[in-house]
Amino acid sequence: MSLRRVYFDHSATTPVDRRVVEAMLPYLTEKFGNPSSVHFYGQEARAAVDRARREVASLVGARPNEMVFLSGGTEANNLAIRGVAEQHAAHGRHVITSSIEHSSTRGVCEALEKRGWEVTRLPVYEEGVVRVEDVRAALRDDTVLVTVMLANNEVGTVQPVAEMGALVRERRAAGQRHLHLHTDAVQAASGMRVNVEELGCDLLSLSAHKLYAPKGVGALYVRRGTRLAPQNVGGHQERERRGGTEAVPLVVAFGEAARLTRLELEERAGHIRRLRDRFESGVAERVPEVVFNGDRGRRLPGISNISFRYVEGEGLLINLDMQGVAVSTGSACSSGSLEPSPVIRALGRDDELARGSIRFSLGKDTTDEEIAYVLEALPRAVESLRRLSPLYNSQFKVSSPRFQVQS
Amino acid sequence: MSYSELFKDHLANPRNAGELADADAVSEQTNPVCGDRLRLSLRVREGRIESARFLAYGCPPTLACGSALAELVEGMTPVEAARVSRQEIVKAVGGLPARRGHASALAVETLAAALEGLRGRTTLTPDSPRA
Repeated sequence: MSLRRVYFDHSATTPVDRRVVEAMLPYLTEKFGNPSSVHFYGQEARAAVDRARREVASLVGARPNEMVFLSGGTEANNLAIRGVAEQHAAHGRHVITSSIEHSSTRGVCEALEKRGWEVTRLPVYEEGVVRVEDVRAALRDDTVLVTVMLANNEVGTVQPVAEMGALVRERRAAGQRHLHLHTDAVQAASGMRVNVEELGCDLLSLSAHKLYAPKGVGALYVRRGTRLAPQNVGGHQERERRGGTEAVPLVVAFGEAARLTRLELEERAGHIRRLRDRFESGVAERVPEVVFNGDRGRRLPGISNISFRYVEGEGLLINLDMQGVAVSTGSACSSGSLEPSPVIRALGRDDELARGSIRFSLGKDTTDEEIAYVLEALPRAVESLRRLSPLYNSQFKVSSPRFQVQS
Repeated sequence: MSYSELFKDHLANPRNAGELADADAVSEQTNPVCGDRLRLSLRVREGRIESARFLAYGCPPTLACGSALAELVEGMTPVEAARVSRQEIVKAVGGLPARRGHASALAVETLAAALEGLRGRTTLTPDSPRA
């Protein structure tokens, strides 16, 4: 009998939608042209890239010529943050961000710091949400960029980016012309409607593989009139903002995935939210001593982040994997670092809870049967690890050895 | 990172998990860097470790090494147990991924502390050499 497999890690990546595969296939075979070529083949590819650009722009309420295709979320965040910081360095070297950004944003901010920029990292409190008044208080005359993610990738909390947009516009109207707002919407786009006008952002990052398209393609929205230093030079593609031949099949796939997301978003989000809520009430009923991470009323529909006391996340991850269930953990070991998840720590959780955190992320094709299966597998996994845990056992059992050595 | 089948078996079916009500020595050690903990209880009868039980909190290598340790030392004399090396524990779990070697160090330290607890008791030769 083969092992039942349940994929609860859609925040890491999503399976490619059949319809997306169908759309991209011709561009891997007969429609192979380079969009920069003037002949028939090139123009066929150009038309396909243009169509995809319209679809991706439409997903976020932007104009097609405001979208820059690139390799994915990390590159989009690099181009946005570095691009603005470098372009506007003469007007200020201060950047505001949050303490729960994706590692790509964190990494770029750290790199800027090493080169003399100042970075303010705002707290998110127990709810996992940045407060707009903190942004207001952190703004300085030399601030050139506010970069705060639209929704967090570990706990799913949605940040008040529209309020930040209003604040940034207010400051710009008052004369601070070089202040920009960037938001990383990589995680958000699959679970909520994203609109650049409503958000009032100047830059917005997207990644295709969170939207049932393949890995290797993403986009950066750059508001008309926004100047940023290109990070990939030497090609005229993407209006000089990102040199390099367009990855036509991937771009086409992204376009189709964006179209499907736009059309199906409400339905997907409703379905996923219903299953997620069922999952969480099931966990609360069946597993004692759990802590739900992130403001439960202000989250993406598909993410559930739960800390299980007395156990470590990677052990739980492997135990679940052996039962066919794929999840992620904020435990340090699995990420190769010594510190457990900075995101869970930023919520004020202690190390034990940060190490024992598991992210369950549901997708559009998740079923009721899968929820039921995970609700069977999870209590077994937690119980078996708790039976092994000296933290758990010392809570409930008093042992009296004749000789005891404690470190 | 991938774990061996033997390693996963230790996780799925931990050997000798638990605590001994009538242990002769119990040691609990903590890895100060990552907070992993391992507790080992030993019961000695007629000069041999008749029973060894472990509890562990931490990353999977710590759990697997605890399981392998408790299984390995059962039936040994304390003197034999003192010679158990990190390499033997790593081998008993089917190998550890790179940078996870600290789990076997915690196991050896926990064992050494438990044997220290036994030292001087009638069940242990007073001057037995330590490995």
